[in-house]
Amino acid sequence: MNMANKNDKSRRSFLQKLGIAGASTVAGSALLLQGCSDSNKASGNKVKVLTADNKLVEVDVAHLKPGDKIQDLSYLQKRGREGIPGKKFVMVVDLAKCKNARKCMKACQSAHQLKPEMHHLNVLEMEDPVKKTSYWMPKTCQHCDNPPCVSVCPVDATFKRQDGIVLIDNERCIGCRFCVAACPYSARTFNWTEPKNSDKMADVTYDMELNVPQKKGTVTKCAFSADQLRHGKLPYCVSACPNGVYYFGDQNEDLVTNGTTKKTVRLSHLLEENAAYTLMPELGTKPSVYYLPPRESEG
Amino acid sequence: MKNNKGYNLIILFCLCFLAVANVNAQSDWQAPAEENEKLSPFLFDDDMVLEGRVAYENSCTSCHGTPGQDDFTPMSPPPGDPGAEAFQAQSDGSIFYKIKMGRGTMPKFEDAFADDELWNIVAYIRSFNEDYKQELPNMEGVVIPEYAMRLSFDENVDKLVVKIFAEEVPQPEVSVSAYVMGTFGKHLLGKAQTNELGIAYVDVDPTLPGDEEGKINVMVKATKGFARAKLQQDLAMAKPTERHSAIEGRHIWSTDRMAPIWLKITFFVSVFGVWFALLFIVFGLRNIKKAREEA
Repeated sequence: MNMANKNDKSRRSFLQKLGIAGASTVAGSALLLQGCSDSNKASGNKVKVLTADNKLVEVDVAHLKPGDKIQDLSYLQKRGREGIPGKKFVMVVDLAKCKNARKCMKACQSAHQLKPEMHHLNVLEMEDPVKKTSYWMPKTCQHCDNPPCVSVCPVDATFKRQDGIVLIDNERCIGCRFCVAACPYSARTFNWTEPKNSDKMADVTYDMELNVPQKKGTVTKCAFSADQLRHGKLPYCVSACPNGVYYFGDQNEDLVTNGTTKKTVRLSHLLEENAAYTLMPELGTKPSVYYLPPRESEG
Repeated sequence: MKNNKGYNLIILFCLCFLAVANVNAQSDWQAPAEENEKLSPFLFDDDMVLEGRVAYENSCTSCHGTPGQDDFTPMSPPPGDPGAEAFQAQSDGSIFYKIKMGRGTMPKFEDAFADDELWNIVAYIRSFNEDYKQELPNMEGVVIPEYAMRLSFDENVDKLVVKIFAEEVPQPEVSVSAYVMGTFGKHLLGKAQTNELGIAYVDVDPTLPGDEEGKINVMVKATKGFARAKLQQDLAMAKPTERHSAIEGRHIWSTDRMAPIWLKITFFVSVFGVWFALLFIVFGLRNIKKAREEA
């Protein structure tokens, strides 16, 4: 009798334990699977809108078009992740024309809420110790096709889009700065302190294409002015340059437009005729920024 | 001491000379007499000013600043403020010519803007002058024909064929310029004149990439005197190109959302496989223990 009771008890407790183990396995795998699926469902929030032909219709917030939801964070996040289909943005920097006017840097810093010591774009003085000459080199994020920063990000905060732009989502960024260490071009910078005008920007909805408002404790870098490109406009730096240094365009079209003169030329011809090069090609990062060599000058 | 004085005088003289030369360099720039008298064929209206403003802000602000604000970039020679009196004293034709042809650090905008777009900029600059009254050409007795345009592509010779008619009559000697419309600007394909059959041919580079069907957006402008026409359309005249996403088939980052399906399946099969094996062993050991106790 005793023996039987004991057996019963152990079976019951075994079944209990098995149940707990099973439930936790199912819950765990469900959590894992949830991470895998990209949920794209209606949010359930309905709003009434007026159509172009004066009809009042009720639509789900998730189905609203751009313009209506420009202030909606989830819409901005989705748009920022997806990018612009059919495009592959490239920049060409003509070093022979750069005279260190630094208008590009100013335009960039004011657009991206950066303090004067923080740079998405920096004009560097490059010295040739042998010839004793120097030239100015604007250096920005290279928007690599094999971006080392993206591979090392542990939280998917930095990513590459279908149009070739590498962006940061500072809603996800945990400030580990792995990407800063991985970038061979030192293109990334870190918000060590409260960003400029942070009190004024407190109510602004975060747009990862502009990376504004900036957040203390997150990484920031050049976004090729993805917010401008969406409206067919050239990046802030490109249109601010007074010296015709920057060309910007779509590699798929093989056309690039000069930000100063607005002249549109064939990308392949421009690169070929001017012996264009990329920075550190030996690393295999395949940058989207090309440089045309500086003028040979006597020291 | 005397020597020093001499040096100072020389330096002062040089500086004065440079300053005068600088002012001269700017005021020296005279448009040819014929260009100077050129008048806009368009009446400057709000639309033109608005279009001119966009063009100005994109292409001119970086050096000339905002008209009337005196905030132009300090350069040598100074670019000048288009809102200033000295600038506004020039004739329409002179401003038009200088924007179009450029000189020195002033870029040549001939290839970037068509004539009507250049007049837009002139209209914008003139909007800062309250006393300005536009001088219009004498149009009495002038009949402006209305052009109709037809575009096609000749594959055999890789040429864009532009036919221009006015009331079904072919128009000779019409200047035609053809552009490919890019994302941020228009690329000049070429310029030509129509022959006596009203046909103009513009060379097309067959390596120019189009969409999957080889279509490309072309814009053609035709002008002769005051007559002008513009047509924009998609034409299959470029190399058919498939456009790929920059991240297509690639999984360069470390989250499961972007992981390929085979990786997800392998992962879950192996995780559950290990669990199954462990449970199998535990149950086996338990059964052995039970069998021993029963025995």
